[in-house]
Amino acid sequence: MRRPDSPERTLPTRPAGACQRPRGGGLFRTAALGIAAALALLGCGSSPPSADLVILNGAEPESLDPAIMTAQADLRIGGSLFEGLTRFDPVDGNPVPGLAERWEISEDGRVYLFHLRPQAVWSTGGSITADDFVYSWRRVLDPATGSEYAGILFYLEHAEAYHLGQIADPGQIGVRTAATHRLEVRLRDPTPFFLDLCALPTLAVVPRDAIERHGDRWLLKPPVPVSGAYELVTWRINDRIRLSRNPRYWEAARTRNQVVDLLPCISASTALNLYETKAVDIVWDKNLVPVDLLDLLLARPDFHAYPVLGTYFLRFNVTRPPFNDARVRRAFAMAIDKQRIVTRITRGGEQVAHSYTPPGIGGYRNPEGLSRQPEVARQLLAEAGFPGGTGFPRFEYLFDTSSRLQEQIAVELQVMWQRELGVRSELRKMEWKTYLVAQGELDYDVCRSSWMGDYNDPNTFLDMFMSHNGNNRTGWQEPRYDQLMRQANAQVDPLRREQLLQQAETILIREAVPIVPLYFYTGLEYYDPDRIEGIYPNIRAEHPLRVIARKPALP
Amino acid sequence: MADPTPSRLAKRPAPRLARAAVPLSPGRRAWRRFRRSRAGFSAALLLCLSVLWLGAWPFFSHESIAPYLPRGLTWSPLTLTDAQFAGPDREHWFGTDVHGRDLLSRVMHGARISLVVGLVGAAVSVIIGVCWGAVAGYVGGRWDSWMMRVVDALYAVPAIVLIIVLVATLQTPLKAWLVARWGTDLGPTANLLLLFVGLGAVSWLTMARIVRGQVLSLRERGFVAASRVLGASHARILLRHILPNVWGVVIVYVTLTIPSVILYESFLSYLGLGVEPPYASLGYLIADGVVHINAIRTHWWLIVFPGGALVGTLLALNLSGDGLRNAWEPREEED
Repeated sequence: MRRPDSPERTLPTRPAGACQRPRGGGLFRTAALGIAAALALLGCGSSPPSADLVILNGAEPESLDPAIMTAQADLRIGGSLFEGLTRFDPVDGNPVPGLAERWEISEDGRVYLFHLRPQAVWSTGGSITADDFVYSWRRVLDPATGSEYAGILFYLEHAEAYHLGQIADPGQIGVRTAATHRLEVRLRDPTPFFLDLCALPTLAVVPRDAIERHGDRWLLKPPVPVSGAYELVTWRINDRIRLSRNPRYWEAARTRNQVVDLLPCISASTALNLYETKAVDIVWDKNLVPVDLLDLLLARPDFHAYPVLGTYFLRFNVTRPPFNDARVRRAFAMAIDKQRIVTRITRGGEQVAHSYTPPGIGGYRNPEGLSRQPEVARQLLAEAGFPGGTGFPRFEYLFDTSSRLQEQIAVELQVMWQRELGVRSELRKMEWKTYLVAQGELDYDVCRSSWMGDYNDPNTFLDMFMSHNGNNRTGWQEPRYDQLMRQANAQVDPLRREQLLQQAETILIREAVPIVPLYFYTGLEYYDPDRIEGIYPNIRAEHPLRVIARKPALP
Repeated sequence: MADPTPSRLAKRPAPRLARAAVPLSPGRRAWRRFRRSRAGFSAALLLCLSVLWLGAWPFFSHESIAPYLPRGLTWSPLTLTDAQFAGPDREHWFGTDVHGRDLLSRVMHGARISLVVGLVGAAVSVIIGVCWGAVAGYVGGRWDSWMMRVVDALYAVPAIVLIIVLVATLQTPLKAWLVARWGTDLGPTANLLLLFVGLGAVSWLTMARIVRGQVLSLRERGFVAASRVLGASHARILLRHILPNVWGVVIVYVTLTIPSVILYESFLSYLGLGVEPPYASLGYLIADGVVHINAIRTHWWLIVFPGGALVGTLLALNLSGDGLRNAWEPREEED
C-alpha cells in the first residue's frame, strides 16, 4: 500500500511571514508583525537543548495516529511511539516478541494465543491489557476511523464484513480477550506472515482513554500515553518532532538514547547540505538523495545502499488492443534493456528485476522471468500481426510527475521500443493523483507503477493481481492465478505453499505478462559509520530508534 | 523578423540622391533610420541569420549532407547514446544530457519550437488585434465602447491561468480528435496548437488598444476627410488610408510581442504544460538544467547553453524592437 515517490505526503509549506499578498497598508502591518515575531523569538532566545540524535525523516508526517498513517516517514515515528504484539528486529527486520512475550499457534495455523507482558505499562501508568488490543484493532477496522490500512486486518475472521458494514457487531471479529493478559486471535486462513503484520504500527496498541476523551486531537494533548520506547515531547509542524525515552517502556533499560529530533525535509539538496554541515546525523529517506550525484556519493563510506522490498514495474491495460494479446506484452517486456535503466538513470545500485517479488522476500525463491531477447521479441510481435512494427497502432505511455526519474525512464523506454520493435509511442504525463485515477479507471495503454511490500511475504506482492483486487489495475483476470493464490494461502506446509506461489508468479511474469518488472528499489541512507551505530541494512528498511546511538568519543 | 528585406540591401550605401529628388514615404524613411541604428539593425540581422540557420538545421542530419559536415552538427535530438553527461567537446559541441542526447541539437530544436510559437502567437495577435482595434476606432461611438469593454473584460482574466486551464482541459479531447481525423502522427501537435490558440488569445488585447488609439486620431485627419468627401467606401478608407499608417506601430509592437510569447511558452514548459517530452522547447531545457545545479558537481552546460540561447533571442528581439520604434517615431528629427 505504501507507494514510494508519493508526493501527496508533502504538506504545503509556507515560510513564516509569507502572508496572502498584502495590499497597501496591509503590507506594513505584515512587515511589522513579522519583525515583532522575529524579535519575540530572539527574546525567548533559548533554543531547545540539543538532542542525542538528529534525523532527517522525509516529508512532514500527515498523522502520527497508528490507524491513520500510511507514509513511510510517518510509520517510522509511529513505530517508536506505539508498539504492537511483535516488533521488528533491528538487524534483520524480522518480527520478534514485543508487547507479547510469547504466543501459541494452533495446528491448523488459524488460532493464535498471545501472552502479553504483565510488566508492560502505558507511559502515564496503567497496565496494557488484552482489552486495549481488542479496542485498538476494532478501531482500525471501524469504517468511521477511515483507516487506509484496514485491509491488513482482513485476515481476521469477519473483519472484512465488519469493515464493509455487513455485520454490525464488532464482537464477531476474530479477536477477543481470553484473560487480562491473554489475547486470542482467530484467522480466516493460516496466514504465515501474520506475526509480521502484528509488528506494523497500524496494529499497535493505542490508549483508549485519551482517544475517547480528546477525539481526533488526542495526539495534540500532552501527555500522550504511549506504549512504545519513546514519548512525544513536541510536534512543531515543519520544524521538528522531538521524542524522548519512555522510562516506563518494558525494555527501557536498553534504549540507547534520551532525546531524538526528527526533522521534516523534502528537498534532496537541502538534506545533503544539512548533512554536510553536520546539522543532522542521519538522513534516511530515499527521496532525500540527489540522484544525479549518486555515482560520487555511493563511493563514500557514509552512503549506504541496500536492497529493500520494492519493485518498479510497468502495467499493461490488457482490455485495450493490441495489449490484449499476451504475445505483444511479452514482446514489449523482452525488448527492454533494464540494465541500461539501472546503470544510467536510477544509479542507486538497483538490481534489475526479472521477477515481480523482490529476492529474499520471506525466504521465497523467485521464479525466473523474461530476460532481454530482442530477436524473440520481434518474432513474437510478428506472430501477433505486426511484423517490424508495421500497423501497430499509436499508444501512450503514462507516467506521473512525482519525480524526474519517471520521465527519464519513459524517454528511455520509448526509444528502446522504437528501436527494437519499430513501434511508436507517445509520452503522457500526469500529476500524481490524476495519474492514480487514470490507472484505477484503466484509462491508459502502458503505465509505470511501483509497489512497496507491506510485510515480508511474497503474498504482499502477488495477491494484488487476483481478479478482483482493488490494486490489480490492469484489467487482467485469470482464474488459474486466483485458484493458485487461494490454494497457496490455505496451505500450511511452507514448501508446498512456495511451489504454488511460484507457479502463480510464473503465470504473472512469463506467460500472461500483464506487468513487466524493471528493477528492485534500493534503500539509501547516509550517516557516518564512525559516529553512529545501531543501523543495520535490512530489506524492510526498518531501523528502530531505540538501538541507534552516537558512538562514544574516542579518548 | 521586422525586417522583410533581404540583408544584401544593408551592404549598399544609402541612396542619398533619391532623398534629394523625391520626398520619401514614411516607411522608407523609417527603414533608413533603422539601418543607421547600430544595435537594433545588427540584432535584426543576427535574428534573420539565425532563423535561416534554424530553418536549415533539420537537413544537417540528412544522410546526403551529413558526411560533409562536422560530426557535432549532425546529431538528431532524439538519438540516445552512451555518452551520459559528457561535457562540451569535439563530438558534442554543447555536451549531452542524462540520456546521452546531444544538447546542441536539442537547443536548436528547442529554439525552433520557441520561435515558431513566438511567431504564430504574434501573428494571431496581429490578425485579431488589428482587425478589432481598427474597426473599434473607425466605427467609434457605442460600438467602440462595447468592443473596448470586451477587451477590458478579457484583460481582467489572469492570462496564465486561462492558458493553463485551456491546455489542461482540452489537451486530451483535441489529441483524440486530431488522431481520429488526421492519423497518428499529429498527436504531439495538439499541445502546440493549444499553445498557439491560448497565447494568441491573450496577446492581442494590447495590440487592439494601440491600433484603436492610432485609428481614432487618424480618422480625423485631413486626408481621411478628403477621401470620404470624394465618396470612398469605408473599407477603402480603412485599407488604403488608415491601416498603412498604422503598420509602423504594429511592426514595432510585434517585435515586443514575440519575446513575451516566447517567455510565456517557456514558463508553461517549465511547469510541464507546454511541449511534451521527448521534444523540448528552450524553457523545458532550462527546467531540465536547473535540476543539475548543486554544490558538489554541476553540469553547467545543461543550463548555460539553453539559457544563453533564450537570453540571446530575447535580447535580439528587444533590441531590434527598440531600433524599430526609434525609427518610426524619431525623438529628434535627424534628416
